[in-house]
Amino acid sequence: MPERTAPGGTATGPGRVLVAVYAVFALAAGARATVQLATRFDEAPVAYLLSAFAAAVYVVATVALARGGRRVALAAIGVELAGVLVVGTLSLLDRAAFPDETVWSAFGRGYGFVPLVLPVLGLLWLRHQARTPAPGTPAPGTHAPGTQAPGTAEDPGR
Amino acid sequence: MGPMNATLVWSATAVAVVVALAGLASTLAHRRIGLLHLAGAAVLEVVLLVQAVVAGVALAGGERPPETATFLGYLAGVVLLPVAGVLWSRTEPSRWAGTVLAVAALVTLVMVWRLVQLWEAPGA
Repeated sequence: MPERTAPGGTATGPGRVLVAVYAVFALAAGARATVQLATRFDEAPVAYLLSAFAAAVYVVATVALARGGRRVALAAIGVELAGVLVVGTLSLLDRAAFPDETVWSAFGRGYGFVPLVLPVLGLLWLRHQARTPAPGTPAPGTHAPGTQAPGTAEDPGR
Repeated sequence: MGPMNATLVWSATAVAVVVALAGLASTLAHRRIGLLHLAGAAVLEVVLLVQAVVAGVALAGGERPPETATFLGYLAGVVLLPVAGVLWSRTEPSRWAGTVLAVAALVTLVMVWRLVQLWEAPGA
């Protein structure tokens, strides 16, 4: 897989908090979907399959963020944002189609709207990460110490 | 509250709040987590384990919440949370370790009250 991995790059600092919250949602959504599918699938197959889909998205996002798979994380969080917006809107417009709650129902109201805020924070974090390379990874144009081009040398006055 | 003992539930609530506040404080103060955080998480874990045993005894004695499987899932999950929170925050070398622990403590808090609700409310 040509995935560019900066080990832990997206899982350090504030990213570690993000991974923790994503892990909680992966577990919560996963457990909820499992119970729904196992005990009463016939009642609301669409809502419960959506629950399972949401759980899968959270699992992928958690693993990608934890392992520094930036592109996979970006894709998963994009799907997550679209999911919470679409399902949130549909669940308010057509309540009959969503007889039982999913994590994304009513924009995640049952979970303190965290499902709505989380993908936004995730995308902001990934953008921030893309701008500041992980320590140890030389940024493009950076030269080894002592070979600095004229004009880029450190200010000797500091 | 059934086997969700009021003293234990409120103890867990108080300790979880203290751990969460201590975690957030260390992040705001640009400090790593210290002994206070670990001790708080340990106390929280002990309270949760005692509560899990009390609930387990009641379940073994034939008492049943409306959704037994969900209740058991929460019970198992809540006991693992402080441990997971400590492990995940201990590997974070920056000030954000405290926030990680705070997240774990707050989720623990929510899950404890969800357990109370699961036992009380029929069909919740």
